[in-house]
Amino acid sequence: MMEKQAMHKTPQVNEVNEFIEIASDFEDPLEVIREALSNSYDAEATWVDIEIKQDEEGRNTLIIEDNGHGMDEQDLASFFDLGNSNKHDAIGYKGHGTKIYYKSDKIRVETVQDGTQIVSVMDQPWETLNDRELPTYSVDTEETDETSGTRIEVHGFRAGQGFDPEQLTYNKIEHYIKWKTIGGSTAWHFDDDFHEFDIEVTLSPHIDDTRENIETSNKLEFPEENLDPDGEFVAERMCKHFPPRELTVTLDDGRELTIEVVGMVGGKEARNDLPTYGKHSAQFGIWLAKDHIKVERYNDAIGADNEFFHFFFIANCQDLELSANREKIRNKSGDVYQAITDELERFMTKVCQDTWYNDYIARRKLEDKKRSVQTQETSLQERLTKTKEQGGLSPSNPAEVIAALERYSANGSPETVEIADFRLDEEVNAIVNTNEGYQNAALQVKLSDFFEDETPLTHIDQFICWKLGDLDALTKIERASYLGEPIRFDFSNNTVTYGEGDAKTIPVLELADKV
Amino acid sequence: MVSFDVIAEAGEARRGQLQINDRTLETPHLFPVVNFYGGGNEPALFGGGIHRTVKEFIVNHPPTTGDEDYSDLFHGVMTSISSLTDYGIREKKLEEYLGNEIREWDKFSDYDGMIFADSGGYKILKQDGELEGEDFKKDIDQDKALDMQLDLGPDIVVNLDHPIHPDDEFEERLEKMEKTAANAGRLAERRDEVDGACYVTVHGYYEAMLERSFDAIEDELGQPIDEVFDGIGLGSLVPRKDNVEVLIEAVSDCRREMQQRGYNDLPLHVFGISGNAMPLLVAVGADSFDSASYLHQAVNGKYCVNLFETVPVEEADLHACDCRICNDGLHRDRMRNRLDDLYQKDILGSVAAHNLAIQQRELRQFRQLIAEADEDQIATYLEEAVKDQKGFRKFAYKLINERIKPYFDDDGETSYA
Repeated sequence: MMEKQAMHKTPQVNEVNEFIEIASDFEDPLEVIREALSNSYDAEATWVDIEIKQDEEGRNTLIIEDNGHGMDEQDLASFFDLGNSNKHDAIGYKGHGTKIYYKSDKIRVETVQDGTQIVSVMDQPWETLNDRELPTYSVDTEETDETSGTRIEVHGFRAGQGFDPEQLTYNKIEHYIKWKTIGGSTAWHFDDDFHEFDIEVTLSPHIDDTRENIETSNKLEFPEENLDPDGEFVAERMCKHFPPRELTVTLDDGRELTIEVVGMVGGKEARNDLPTYGKHSAQFGIWLAKDHIKVERYNDAIGADNEFFHFFFIANCQDLELSANREKIRNKSGDVYQAITDELERFMTKVCQDTWYNDYIARRKLEDKKRSVQTQETSLQERLTKTKEQGGLSPSNPAEVIAALERYSANGSPETVEIADFRLDEEVNAIVNTNEGYQNAALQVKLSDFFEDETPLTHIDQFICWKLGDLDALTKIERASYLGEPIRFDFSNNTVTYGEGDAKTIPVLELADKV
Repeated sequence: MVSFDVIAEAGEARRGQLQINDRTLETPHLFPVVNFYGGGNEPALFGGGIHRTVKEFIVNHPPTTGDEDYSDLFHGVMTSISSLTDYGIREKKLEEYLGNEIREWDKFSDYDGMIFADSGGYKILKQDGELEGEDFKKDIDQDKALDMQLDLGPDIVVNLDHPIHPDDEFEERLEKMEKTAANAGRLAERRDEVDGACYVTVHGYYEAMLERSFDAIEDELGQPIDEVFDGIGLGSLVPRKDNVEVLIEAVSDCRREMQQRGYNDLPLHVFGISGNAMPLLVAVGADSFDSASYLHQAVNGKYCVNLFETVPVEEADLHACDCRICNDGLHRDRMRNRLDDLYQKDILGSVAAHNLAIQQRELRQFRQLIAEADEDQIATYLEEAVKDQKGFRKFAYKLINERIKPYFDDDGETSYA
């Protein structure tokens, strides 16, 4: 009998691959700014300066400096370790963010906490990882009189083309800060102890020298309200703030979720007071946020009756779960997400019933109509000028041919031809009352147009046209045949003779030289 | 003796008491539509399958209803003279049936609810002004309609109307309004023959249309409506029943018109509408409704979970429902088809009673809220009712925002959540 052996094995992690994977997970090089701001915010800094430089060979250097509480050795370890954050109730609790810095030639950290300064350097992190080794970092500690704070230098940061002058501008960064980082926080609407801090971003002149550097705070502030501006075309300037609301939802299991919503509705000009970048339809709408950092939009919260880009609402909920790079919401299939979006839909439906909002939409519509009246005026002027040039009626459609026919009859025409019935879409479009009684007529601007459509002549008693049109085209038809039968156009007597043997002659009433 | 007393108001919603002789009805009220004649003779309560089961509830017939008396679900019912021919009837039989008032038939002698006898204008108009039985066709004019209504022994009658349709040309609508007004005039002349309340119908989807309808009637009467009539009935809404916005506008504008003309003390009945729109229409001032939806849903095997949702009766969670029917073992067994020798009418009859109980429960709650005269509570109730009704809830929110309390003030202050 064989003896049974039990074995336990521990799954292995390929650490090098994990580091490469996490560092590569960040797609947009601007995500370094989000990480830097989040870390400084978590370190309770009151200011943070970010500097991005690029030398002539295209090598990037990133310097982030703040006056936060600095790091001790354990914090530093977390900074370099993977998935070992010691921040629990903070934005960067996953310990993934700083790993974006690994995509560089050198990371240097200088930090002061409680009179102790640590200087730490990691050389060639990205090259080392790609050689399938884990990079190491030095740690030098000494006493200091300096106040607490941290300075991180990332040399040779691999931003792809993201930091190239063609890609990076102050405008783009400012937009990014307000839309994608803690720099665009709406927490100040809800939190009396809001932790405000100043943000400064400087680009080397080589990257953008078109304006001063960015100096802002971490508050997202809406454009000034403009509820009822004076003037004729003002809807684009209108703007209303919708005050902060805390919505609570209870899940089936009794858990309670809080959603903090605040927002604005405004026209394009008002929205442009914000640091927008590119199309408004890609920036505005209903944003879901966590840690008061916007993550993804949920524009379905606005019913199909309304256009989402008039709205800029931020709904923050700490129960949303995010992907490692914070770009996506992870728990979308769960009941939490469902409950949040349901409640948000209800709230936004109420916003859409707001009287001011409906006035704003009505005003936009009215202004559009006024604009179209202005266009009409121009078009009418042009038409009038053209008509005068032509010396009166010159039909270009069947309705005008009818007008010409009426004028012909009113001015004592030798025959009676009155329109009794007219249907634009029918091939034989008119029934006319004549001296011989009712007749079927084909009424066209040009006789030649009628033959282009190859309409059968069986039921036509008369042609009525403004002019004969392209005589060459008609002659060409005459020389071939029309629907398999011979046809003859007599331009001097204005008749069309059609068919073999018992041929049918159809009179043509040409109005141009009669009116 | 007819009186209508408003005993509480909350915004535009009102709670009232309609007193007709010795019968009283709490409003807002839903008159379930009942088909009193469905074939057969008196021992079979004049038949009609599920209609018969409904009538067994009305007269409290223990083999059907069990130990409990559910006749109060039918405390005020609506019936129409045109429904007498729904199941085919011979002329002789019709005369025989109309020979007694409903309550003069022994089986119905204990029924003490109010009977609202409708003229059935909609159906009669569709049949070119005729009532068609198995072996007869009768031209129905105002006099004949009233004669038949009176034969039923009603508490409330209404003039024969010519309902308008959204596709009507303007001239067509005018003609109908004038004919309706002429009938109202004729009913007014015979007012003394009615030992109960007389309602007059108005038609229109918005103020200008309603104004014209009221004008036509006042011109015809030559005196204010409330000198002759005891209530206003708003008709022609059935073709627009799925457009809540139109319903709200129509009822609300009708109430405004009544107010401006000094008829605010008359009750406003909304013909043919019930279900999910009902709470919103109460909020803008409707006092009563009538509808056969409780029955139609049951006939199609649909069990109402609330005003918005129905499920096939076999999938219904009867224990989750707090209505009296679902708390009665006999009716649960019937709805579950767990008893021997059950006919479809027995199963679906209980479902119909449940469906009606659900609609009436909502109105009862609403009456309580109005009694407390608290608009905020009404707003909360409406919000809760439409909470999960995407597409529909915007109408409730709009109503709350415009008429009860704005969600957002223009000064940026939070007002109501």
